[in-house]
Amino acid sequence: MKTSALTLAACAATALTGPAFADKLDDIIGSGTLRCAVVLDFPPMGSRDSDNNPQGFDVDYCNDLAEALGVEAEIVETTFPERIPALVSGQVDIAVASTSDTLERAKTVGFTIPYYAFENAVVANDGVEISDWEGMKGKTVGATAGTYEAIWLQEKIEEWGEGEFRPYQNQADVFLALSQGQLDVTVSTVEVAEANVASGNFEGIKIVDKAPMVPDYVGLITLREEQGLLNYMNLFINQQVRTGRYAELYAKWVGEGTPADLTIPGVYR
Amino acid sequence: MLDTALSANDFLFLAKGAGMTIFVTILSVFFGTILGIIFGVIRYQLGPYWSAPLMIVLDVFRSIPLLIQLVLTYAFLGTVLRLGLSGLTVACIVLTMYTSAYCAEIVRGGIEAVPMTLRRASRSLGMTWAQDMRNIVLPLATRVALPSWIGLALGVMKDSALVYVVQVTELLKSTQILITRLQEPLLLLMICGAFYFLISFPVARFGGYLEKRWSND
Repeated sequence: MKTSALTLAACAATALTGPAFADKLDDIIGSGTLRCAVVLDFPPMGSRDSDNNPQGFDVDYCNDLAEALGVEAEIVETTFPERIPALVSGQVDIAVASTSDTLERAKTVGFTIPYYAFENAVVANDGVEISDWEGMKGKTVGATAGTYEAIWLQEKIEEWGEGEFRPYQNQADVFLALSQGQLDVTVSTVEVAEANVASGNFEGIKIVDKAPMVPDYVGLITLREEQGLLNYMNLFINQQVRTGRYAELYAKWVGEGTPADLTIPGVYR
Repeated sequence: MLDTALSANDFLFLAKGAGMTIFVTILSVFFGTILGIIFGVIRYQLGPYWSAPLMIVLDVFRSIPLLIQLVLTYAFLGTVLRLGLSGLTVACIVLTMYTSAYCAEIVRGGIEAVPMTLRRASRSLGMTWAQDMRNIVLPLATRVALPSWIGLALGVMKDSALVYVVQVTELLKSTQILITRLQEPLLLLMICGAFYFLISFPVARFGGYLEKRWSND
């Protein structure tokens, strides 16, 4: 009786450990499909074209990764709060969804090195003499009240001791005020700035410089224990930058200018 | 309101979503009804005591919200059993079980509505159990159960909107995709509602017609 129970336990243990030898990287290559969670209401990173097919920086990034792996890409639409649950419940293999690499999230999922960084741009009215971000000194600046940019601008105004800060209710009001000359300068994310300049809805505005704020670094995510896949993706991100594909995708989806530097000065990784 | 960015292409996209809703509903209601009839007859024949294990399982499908059933089943089949089924397959399996759980009760109610005296009479005329079920119980029970069954089928059609959680792009999900892109929620939801109405109305009318036709005896 005792031996049979032991044998049974041994058999059960073998049966359970069996599939664990193949890791996610093998699974993806074996299945021939890479399932990526992408947020599709977040242009220019993810959106839908006029035929309702997924498009954007993240979509192209997933396709590139699938091509590198030699598999088909499958874009699975998720919302921001659904990204990690979709990953943990096995609906997707990875998420290419502009996920900020916070330490809190890293307790649940595994992050790669940053594949993109959201920087802030200094946008000015055409009539204002300004050549770099320090030219904001003494000008009338404004931003959406309570945002990261607004807090940074207020601190700068206090630091310089000159100029004026005006808070606004939303981003559209800020750009309208800028276009009408009520504001000299504002700060917003590069993506929003580029989109607003390109849209033609706000005349007489220009992007001057990048603001020296800490960028929002975002990484690809997969399950925490999938070191093999994380290792592969880290190298993939490196290759994307090395081959110029990163700059190419930036030019295609975000706009002219240099894409954000993905390294952080003074520290490894 | 007349100034809309909605194109013919988008209408086609919505129609495809509606097609998916109809497909999932027909499949689930069809197989769910077959299973439901089997479960309902078992439930009736075995009595409440012996059929308890089956009824507990069916109660699970009736008591847990469909959304949770879908997510958990998808996760279980995908990550634990590693079956690699598509979202559509999982959606059809879960909806079929969900339909069968409700249908079993409808079938049991229908069978119980046939007077016991009538059934004893049929058996004493020499009919076998199968003959009695087919010739006496089936026609009478169907009439009793039909309105509830139509209600169930329409309910499942609307509940099928939840299958978006397993990546099936049905009517409501297609509408949401268009709302995100075009930012015209009211117009799009009205169109979506019209689509649902177009699907349900004929079913409801057909049910009403059958009821009327069968009741004048």
